[in-house]
Amino acid sequence: MRDEAVIVGAEIAAGHDGAAELLVTLRYPNGGRAQVAIDAEAGFALMRNCGVSDLSGLEGQPWRRMLEGAETCSTS
Amino acid sequence: MFDVLITGGRIVDGTGATARHGNVAIRGGRIAAVGDVTGEAARTIDAAGKVVAPGFIDPHTHFDVQLLWDGAARPALEHGLTTIVPGNCSLSLAPLKAADRSRVVGMFQQIEEMPPEAFTEAFEWCWEDFAGYREAVARHLSINVAPLVGHSVIRLWVMGEAAQQRAATSDEIAAMQDLLRACLDAGAVGLSTSFVDIDENGRPVPSRFAQFAELDALCAVLGEWGGRMLQCVPEFYAVDLTIARIDQLAELSLRHGIPTTFSPLFDSTQAPDNAPRAIARVEEQFARGARVWPQMQTRPIDISFSLLRPSLFFARLPRWVRVLRQPLEARLASLTDPETVERMVADLGPDGGERMMGGLVVRGGDAAPQAYVGRTLSEIARERSQLPARALIDISLENGLDVAFLSGAQGHESTERIGPMLAHPLMHIGASDGGAHIASFATYGDTGYLFSEFVRKAGALTLEEAVRKITSETADIWGLKDRGRLQPGKAADVVVFDDRTIGRGEERAVFDLPGEGMRYVRDAVGIDAVLVNGEVAWAGGRYADARSGVFCN
Repeated sequence: MRDEAVIVGAEIAAGHDGAAELLVTLRYPNGGRAQVAIDAEAGFALMRNCGVSDLSGLEGQPWRRMLEGAETCSTS
Repeated sequence: MFDVLITGGRIVDGTGATARHGNVAIRGGRIAAVGDVTGEAARTIDAAGKVVAPGFIDPHTHFDVQLLWDGAARPALEHGLTTIVPGNCSLSLAPLKAADRSRVVGMFQQIEEMPPEAFTEAFEWCWEDFAGYREAVARHLSINVAPLVGHSVIRLWVMGEAAQQRAATSDEIAAMQDLLRACLDAGAVGLSTSFVDIDENGRPVPSRFAQFAELDALCAVLGEWGGRMLQCVPEFYAVDLTIARIDQLAELSLRHGIPTTFSPLFDSTQAPDNAPRAIARVEEQFARGARVWPQMQTRPIDISFSLLRPSLFFARLPRWVRVLRQPLEARLASLTDPETVERMVADLGPDGGERMMGGLVVRGGDAAPQAYVGRTLSEIARERSQLPARALIDISLENGLDVAFLSGAQGHESTERIGPMLAHPLMHIGASDGGAHIASFATYGDTGYLFSEFVRKAGALTLEEAVRKITSETADIWGLKDRGRLQPGKAADVVVFDDRTIGRGEERAVFDLPGEGMRYVRDAVGIDAVLVNGEVAWAGGRYADARSGVFCN
């Protein structure tokens, strides 16, 4: 197991603002899991940072790839 | 002699008591008598076969701008809402110095999606302080308003540009406290803050630069004023952060003796533990004596998109992602290249996208041909003798890509799961966001949907309980002592509706904003009449000239 959180899944979800979002599941080194929803801008940035154009390619990527664009989460 | 006598209805008085037949008499804007009351009246409303209930209260709206030219907050009032709470999510239109207007307009446009003309043509900026805004709005109110003051604008007034750059000094915090006192004195019912929102440039709004000491100091003022409300938008995209905010709100509630509320809280079948975990934490904090009310909306969440902007709707289709993520010119070149399009359609499999795209609905309000609006892509594709994926691309190309497609009920959609949550004794039904996101979806009709979906269809709440949740319970949470019950002496906010038909109309696009701006609305269904402070404000499908709305203190 890596010593940092990794992405173990990503699903398309409905965002609060009516746009599609990514619901990303992270697994921490201690086995704990958490989910975070990111908007289209951050989602495409994540895919670009990981060099993938398919959600399945996100699995196993380090959580740090999500940081770029993380400030642009949905508005209320 | 009464002003109004509502006769023969089933009275659901807002307390949760069983419905009973009787009359409601109104005099001088107040409920005069309820039950077995008769007498002469200037106006009689026949409510035979209908429910007579207190007017509904919406605790989470963004009608701050619209109220300046539309005192009914249309179409909110016709859905039975008689009191609305604007000023949520850290943003209000006062206090606001003239020099800072453009900055705050940008923040409002980010949330509300109002066209620029709404801020330049529809009204005259004639205020800076909260009392001035109140005066500007109060001139033509048909609906009652219980406004919050926004933390972001308080910060901006005191700190100027630095409000979006750094933490506040102790002197600045003291100045914010004084300003908040002035706003509460001028009619604000509480303070709103946000840990999420961004401005039009993608920068965090001012409230997000506040340290805990600043929020603590402002909540101390809410405590001084008898325990006014703190509304907060937590990091709702991650439940662990939301739970941390619940704990923080609980500390503020206990320390200062104030109620707090956070919104939104959604259910998700993809993350089914999230909402229950947040609710469990709320239960723990209430057990400690804190008041942290989660707000949950009734309506499901739809996904909408056009090919003008890349959407994660296609995130499982790598070729579509690559094509649609390109700059506009390159995107158009790809979408008009027969070989590329053939491959894109082939990616959907043998059904040509019927399973994934067939149920999409063409929304309207854009360049979509009127003949397609409201119809499914499956139906349109058959008519065009095309596969759905091909039809989606071609319809978009034929109309400059400016065609929006809607995938209905993709989130917060499980009635079986959400019904019990809405019925939970600590769940505050709200978070409609009325007046916000107006060009993306309709934020009206959530109360009608509560009755049609969760009372009539699912039986998750009784009629009486559903009415109680959106009338007296809301009034009690917010300290609106005059509202929410059909009892002698209370303000005569009344809605007459048919509990067999109350619901919400289909979403439709209208162009009724300043500058002919577009928004999505839903019409009321099953509402007969709405009275605000004793005057008929809406009846028979029409708005009256009543200007009886007030600021609630």
